Amino acid sequence: MNQSNDLQFDYKYGFSMPDTSIFQTKRGISPEIVYQISKIKNEPEWMTAKRLRAYEIFLTKKMPSWGADLSKIDFDDIVYFIRATDKQQNSWEDLPAEIKETYDRIGVPEAEKKFLAGVSAQYESEVVYESITKELTKDGVIFCDMDTALLKYPEIVKEYFGTLIPATDNKFAALNSAVWSGGSFVYVPKGVQVKLPLQAYFRINAERFGQFERTLIIAEEGSIVHYIEGCTAPIYVTDSLHSAVVEIFVKKNARVRYTTVQNWSNNVYNLVTKRAKAEENAVMEWIDCNIGSKVTMKYPSVYLMGEGAKGEVLSIAYAGADQHQDAGAKMIHFAPNTSSRIVSKSISKHGGRTSYRGLVQVMPGATNSSVFVSCDALLMDENSRSDTYPTMKIKENQVEVQHEATVEKLGEEKLFYLTSRGISKNDAEGILVNGFIEPVTREIPLEYSIELNRLMQLEMSGSVG
Amino acid sequence: MLAEAKGRSPERSRRNKHMKFIQIKQGKKSKHVVNTPGEYIFFIHNYSGEVDIEIKSQEAKVFIYGIYVGKKGDNFTLNTIQHHKIGNSISDLLIKGVFFDDAKFIYDGLIKIDKKAQKSNAYQKNQNLMLSKDVFVSSKPNLEILANDVRCTHGSTTGQLDQTQVYYLKTRGLTEDTAQKLLIEGFVGDVFNKMEENGVDDPVILERIRQSTT
Repeated sequence: MNQSNDLQFDYKYGFSMPDTSIFQTKRGISPEIVYQISKIKNEPEWMTAKRLRAYEIFLTKKMPSWGADLSKIDFDDIVYFIRATDKQQNSWEDLPAEIKETYDRIGVPEAEKKFLAGVSAQYESEVVYESITKELTKDGVIFCDMDTALLKYPEIVKEYFGTLIPATDNKFAALNSAVWSGGSFVYVPKGVQVKLPLQAYFRINAERFGQFERTLIIAEEGSIVHYIEGCTAPIYVTDSLHSAVVEIFVKKNARVRYTTVQNWSNNVYNLVTKRAKAEENAVMEWIDCNIGSKVTMKYPSVYLMGEGAKGEVLSIAYAGADQHQDAGAKMIHFAPNTSSRIVSKSISKHGGRTSYRGLVQVMPGATNSSVFVSCDALLMDENSRSDTYPTMKIKENQVEVQHEATVEKLGEEKLFYLTSRGISKNDAEGILVNGFIEPVTREIPLEYSIELNRLMQLEMSGSVG
Repeated sequence: MLAEAKGRSPERSRRNKHMKFIQIKQGKKSKHVVNTPGEYIFFIHNYSGEVDIEIKSQEAKVFIYGIYVGKKGDNFTLNTIQHHKIGNSISDLLIKGVFFDDAKFIYDGLIKIDKKAQKSNAYQKNQNLMLSKDVFVSSKPNLEILANDVRCTHGSTTGQLDQTQVYYLKTRGLTEDTAQKLLIEGFVGDVFNKMEENGVDDPVILERIRQSTT
């Protein structure tokens, strides 16, 4: 371990492959480009119309007046669509060597061998490799990319697409609705419990290329599914935009968990709209870890629509040099006996800035609802910054709403104790930070939490592992 | 206990000399600058508007206490700012609200610690009791922390009276109304106790405050 020399943390997956994309739109956005994207994908007419309408909405919507600095985003300097390979690959051997090498470095095949139910690895804007185990298919579970879903299951897509996050929601949701490509589609039939987590890897791999994936998850009555999204991206000089939309429908007695380990390289604007609707006695859990990116603005939300529904957001945010993590959660209680819990842990170092921004709203009639919010922030040095912006709007009196937050530095006594036991200061900091985020990491599958712990240790020591 | 109390009293009377009591009144200036060390107590009652407190002195201890009682047609909007510009200072805010009928309370609080205000401690707490279905409460306790050697916490709770406590009092023979009244008194009384602990022991001031809040 290099202690004294505070090396710039070299991005571990910061390699990039030569660009072999076969088709890409020209830079910038216009109705022609939106139309072109839809046409290339052979989409049904209603989707083309939806895209064009969303483009109009995108033009009229203003940039958010709050949150992180987005003034550097130049919408005219982004390529909105790239097709990585001509057609979908269904076996590992058929994949182009370069793409295979990229995946080898991230470890997709091993992960799959070990315990993945299905891999849907997204290379640039479309899913090029995808395998679904026989069991899933037998149970009627659909797990594919959104483009395939639109062609194969247009009725399901049409019924749900954009109903929870309409294009009018915000500027970036409108942009995504206009130019989306890729993303995952998950449909779990009534009573089916998917035992292994479904995973998808996303990568941005072309300069100035924004990735606009669109994910739709539908969990029918009494079903259970856990979806994992992990991000790693190579470093590029110019800024990249990632603007996803994720819509999740959790029906009566169903349970969905959505885990994200976001580790974009430090030039990516990560502006994501994620929302779930929980019906009667349904459970929705977001586990959200934001380690990378230049700017993240992401507030996973749960609309608790049915009686007894439960929502939970557990999140970790880490901001290093030149990073701003503006993340949080939204819980909206519409029905009686609903409960929500938000636990947020954030760490700022080397001048980084983390902001927790949250909304809790209890609507009239949501009697006997309970809300618990807890935000803890660690400031590792004097150049870093931490903000907490919670909002609680309560329109019902038979409720229990609790919010608490703390901001502090690492305990000096704890550091002193560990160093007195012969542990170096950097290692001691790593241990304490990992302890600090443990309430969230213990909810993440083992291989992710190991990776995350190692990553935090690396970030803390400031050296390359 | 007795020895402890005795031992504390000279210190308290010494502190009292330096303790400044400021009651925030409607229509008066909303910005207050704390320039000298010592204890300051700000008291807010059913006040709508901004209370902006700038701390520009070391060894300054600023307490902000607020009581809101909202009834039919009441609509309160409160903004508080605890801005630490110089470190080694403390600010501690406690706002309690009891709301009946269709009362509205919109609270927006901010703790801001400047980069050079190291070793600041800042606390902020807002607790609200909602005693009617038509009450609306919005609470935004914000933190903006730019220094690292600090400790800042905030908390906010909103809800109804603890039903198990009401039940307990009723099993002791109290009526629902009396039980409610007692619990509300206890809830608000907490603020008075804190003020007394921090040196507001002038019976005239205390009586005036009590009068104005009941």
